[in-house]
Amino acid sequence: MPPLLQFVIRRFMSIPVSLLVITMVLYGGVMLTPPEARATLYMPDNLPPRLTDQQYANIEEKIIRLHHLRDPFPVQYYFWVKTLFDGKWGYSPSLNEYVLPSLLRRTPATLELAVYSLLLLIPLGLVSGVTAGWKRSGSFDRGFRALAFLGTSIPPFILAIVLLSIFYINLSWFFPGRLDLAYTLEISAGNFIPYTGMMTVDALLNGRTDILDNAFRHLAMPAFTLSIYHWATLGRVTRVSMLGEKRKEYVTAAKARGLVERKIVWKHVFRNILTPSLTSMALSATSIVTGVFVSEIIYDIDGISGVIVRAMSGIPDAPAALGFAMYSVIMTLLLTFFLDVTQAILDPRVREGVLKT
Amino acid sequence: MSRPRLFFRHWRNRLSLLLILGYVFVAITAPYLSPDDPKNPSPFMRVGRAFESRPLPPDDKAVLGMLPRGIDVYHALVWGSRDALQFGLIVAISTALFGVVYGAASGYAGGRVGGFMLRVADSFLAFPPIAGVVFLQQLFAVTITAMGGIYYTSDILGRVVEIRGPATIIQVLFENVNPLMLSLILFSWMPYARLIHSIVITLKQTGFVQAARALGGGSSWVIRKHLLPNSLGPAVVLAARDVGGVVLLQATLTFINIGGDSVWGTMLAQGRNWILGPGGSLLTYWWVFIPPTLAVMLFGIAWNLLGDGINDLLDPHT
Repeated sequence: MPPLLQFVIRRFMSIPVSLLVITMVLYGGVMLTPPEARATLYMPDNLPPRLTDQQYANIEEKIIRLHHLRDPFPVQYYFWVKTLFDGKWGYSPSLNEYVLPSLLRRTPATLELAVYSLLLLIPLGLVSGVTAGWKRSGSFDRGFRALAFLGTSIPPFILAIVLLSIFYINLSWFFPGRLDLAYTLEISAGNFIPYTGMMTVDALLNGRTDILDNAFRHLAMPAFTLSIYHWATLGRVTRVSMLGEKRKEYVTAAKARGLVERKIVWKHVFRNILTPSLTSMALSATSIVTGVFVSEIIYDIDGISGVIVRAMSGIPDAPAALGFAMYSVIMTLLLTFFLDVTQAILDPRVREGVLKT
Repeated sequence: MSRPRLFFRHWRNRLSLLLILGYVFVAITAPYLSPDDPKNPSPFMRVGRAFESRPLPPDDKAVLGMLPRGIDVYHALVWGSRDALQFGLIVAISTALFGVVYGAASGYAGGRVGGFMLRVADSFLAFPPIAGVVFLQQLFAVTITAMGGIYYTSDILGRVVEIRGPATIIQVLFENVNPLMLSLILFSWMPYARLIHSIVITLKQTGFVQAARALGGGSSWVIRKHLLPNSLGPAVVLAARDVGGVVLLQATLTFINIGGDSVWGTMLAQGRNWILGPGGSLLTYWWVFIPPTLAVMLFGIAWNLLGDGINDLLDPHT
């Protein structure tokens, strides 16, 4: 088996272990509540509208017995995990539907935003970090450091307000939301086939460049707001490892042999600093996922975060909150996995199986 | 050059200390700078008419103007710095303490136990804080409603908790704990643990630690006397940046109405409809937008600068 495949498989196997720990912690939290509260996780979707307290208590009692809610933790945990595989994840009163289908339907919007932001910020972060670190205290370095500092210090919602004021209201270049109302209506009319649910991809597949343009105009501000913080963090980490790496002897040797500077930086040094940079990205995966949700809520994109927006502004809704927590954990694990694999593909030491990670 | 002099040589470090001391000063002297209304002590003091839906410009009743519903901007700004400092310091110090102890223990244990502890910490790394906040709040809410009480959050009233019947320990806990603070402490100690873990693993191989163990030093003594003092620097840098970071996150989550009760965030949330004036101008109702924004941003900048300053100080290359 090639070492890279071995690495990918071993890395993938660690996902269930993390999931096990996290689900145990999550259900441990649920266990702190009384059984009556836990029963709301399993409430049916066709509860009659008017119930007396006595009737409600009877239903509650039935659910408690059916799902073993008075039993010790391992038993309850086992039965809860079993219900995770039914594809429903409980009925949410504030969404008025089952949690998992609702989450899945909202995923493409979130995925689209996340993918474009990562495609924007990873190359930019790496390039600006490397360039800034190579010529320390040069004009590029100083400019980069000031911008990166600003990027990590501005709260996203304030940046969003400023961007909206300039680019939406004054210039009308970029817009909040996912699509213009006219296009949304056209899509719901049925001429446009939603293959993936991701607007930019669907527009291409349907051959509609006007919708493609519009979708990008709606994505620009959220993607920028999300990227700027992580771009700054990634750039700083890259810059610092660049500063350490360029003192090494092989760089001096390469210079002495008269290699072109561009070649030294991008062919030799860059390879070596990729690992720490991408590792730091993988470690801040939760922060990226949180950023995606925050960006969605600020710019009114009805992605996965729509679930919590509804759950937080109404009656108590434990199934939605628990489902959202589970789903965002899975998202984070997949994102970390993806970043680790990217790093393994780019790092020759992992690729050839020399380095055990 | 001595370390303090090295630290004060840079204008950035001086600026950060100045800003932080400024915030601390305002937080301590808040009751004198802007006395609370004795009947209704709250950061949101009403000085104008309650039914006034427009934000009124500065006048002699309110130095920095009013938010909608006649709420004083200056008063909320002053008391907000107390709130932000408290929140940031409590979260940063508790996460740092827990993470450092955990990392030191797992690093010192090493082998299979240490590996398992690190595995658990890594699993926590997959939990986004925003999910934690929502999860904890909904847990509180269902518990309190299941016991016949009331729990909800609203724009105007903030978090409303009303408990009926005899108060159990869990209920009292739920009433007094800030869900955002708890979730940030529970789900952001892992970077410290990982950092300290790796440093301790490296330090364990060095001569002086091996000597201390050969002398017959107990494990907690070795950790306290030799391992922790030599690995605390980077943790302090992380903690300093975290103070600013968690306050920014708190303000953000408050503004988008996902839990959190940052005073500065609430100010912006209350003036939400007035931030963008006619023509998208941010300056028409500047007293709604500029003061809380500046307060939040300078707070973040100050702690970030402090973290960078300490980092440079510890770095032998500079």
